[in-house]
Amino acid sequence: MEIAEWELVRKCQNGDVAAYEDIAAKYYRRVFMVILGVVHDRDDAMDVAQETFYRAFKNIKRFKGGSNFYTWIYRIAVNLAIDLQRRKKRSSVDLKEDMDEVIVETEASGNDPFRELHDRRLGEKLLCAIDELTPDHKAVIVMRAVEGLSYKEIGRIMGCSEGTIMSRLHYARKKLQEKLGTDL
Amino acid sequence: MKLRWSLFQATLLFSLCATLGSAPAGAAEAEKSQQPVQLKIGTILATNQADCLDSQLSKMKQQLEVIKYRCYRLIREESQKGSWQGNAVFEIPGGRSLVVTPQEFRNNRISLKVRLLEGEKPIVDTTVRFPNKGNFLLGGPAHEGGVLILSISAMTQ
Amino acid sequence: MMKDCEEIKRLLGPWIDGELDADQAAEIQLHVQACASCLDEKARLERLESSLKSLLETKASEVAFDTFWAGVRQRIADEKSWHARAVDWLRGIFSPPRLAWAVPAMVVILVAALSLDRFLPGWRWVFGPTNVASVESIDGHGFNVALLREAKTKTTVIWLFENQENDDETSVEPVSGNAAF
Repeated sequence: MEIAEWELVRKCQNGDVAAYEDIAAKYYRRVFMVILGVVHDRDDAMDVAQETFYRAFKNIKRFKGGSNFYTWIYRIAVNLAIDLQRRKKRSSVDLKEDMDEVIVETEASGNDPFRELHDRRLGEKLLCAIDELTPDHKAVIVMRAVEGLSYKEIGRIMGCSEGTIMSRLHYARKKLQEKLGTDL
Repeated sequence: MKLRWSLFQATLLFSLCATLGSAPAGAAEAEKSQQPVQLKIGTILATNQADCLDSQLSKMKQQLEVIKYRCYRLIREESQKGSWQGNAVFEIPGGRSLVVTPQEFRNNRISLKVRLLEGEKPIVDTTVRFPNKGNFLLGGPAHEGGVLILSISAMTQ
Repeated sequence: MMKDCEEIKRLLGPWIDGELDADQAAEIQLHVQACASCLDEKARLERLESSLKSLLETKASEVAFDTFWAGVRQRIADEKSWHARAVDWLRGIFSPPRLAWAVPAMVVILVAALSLDRFLPGWRWVFGPTNVASVESIDGHGFNVALLREAKTKTTVIWLFENQENDDETSVEPVSGNAAF
């Protein structure tokens, strides 16, 4: 853990909200991405991300610096996201809305029309395919894809062995490849 | 609006009658102890700077945990023998003083009238009844980066 | 012994992730360089994760930090100390429309309680003795007063605050800043 970051954490442990704002600015987007990968709905993801940072601040005295701060906050984020996902039965209507948003974004940012069309199809299919995974499988593949975390780090976050992570990742990739077929 | 006002007046009138009616009976019923009362004021400084608990406050740990500060230090403790209806004055840090007047002893409970003053200016007046040898806490005054908490206790034979 | 394509494909993921030991990694690399099918599989795996990452990045890039932080800060501010919550509660109670009813109601209740004790001394013992102090009157001389009683620890706390009407509602600093003195 960087000394500067540890200094910020120590300040937070003394109730310094401004120091916590600096930490939040550094990690919020990455945490949001992981959560979004698990819960899909943007509003839900925002809610879970804000709750994650709130809970992390509330419990920051428990963070002893033995691991990286992001590992610690990811653990909170992933647990909250998985809990929400398990509780919530998502309807196909919600999924459709999410997919439409992705399409609009891709249209706005793409330059090559063929590439753009392909990405759009892939985005749609990817969202559908991911949603069919269990929350645990989603969390594993998202953490690997977004952060490139090692199996050991993911295992620490999810509270399971590296072997379990490897197996979940293999299963998730296989399922996604099957679903995406030739679009990939 | 008129209805609300007349209800307001009616309740006030009822309250007045009830007070006047109960006063003679109350005066007759009060049983006062002739024994002196031992008063003890502990002045505690509570801060959030670090986790600490003054060893002299270990018996009050559970009570202080209700208040949720991180550090508690006993900065002054003073005992005085008070008389019923007589004032006992305790000096409190920051130019404040606490005037404690034992009111009565009934059903094994002591009633204390407590006034906290800053110079001559009254900050709070309260009357509290608590079990013999018990206490209550009065907190809030800012002091040296924290707040003061006064533990006010009393006992009689 | 050389591994077949099936075995190699099973290890492609951990290989891309850098989770294999040096010998295994070298073996897979050799195989992939020479095998079109495994090379294609590797490309598919890489494309899968890069697509997922870019999809999530696009979504996340729309979230402005200010909006996000406002929500976090609000949650932190909402968890006020017990005495701040008590002051809020008192503020609600003492709002002008309620005050018209609250004042006479409180007077009646107080008088009734005091009167009953005088007419029937010791009536409270019917319900069992209490070890907690009871506050019979408080006058804060313009300051807000919060009262906390907890039977378990036999604790009664009277807490003084100055009027917080103009204070920053989102402040999360310790309560010392709100003290009355």
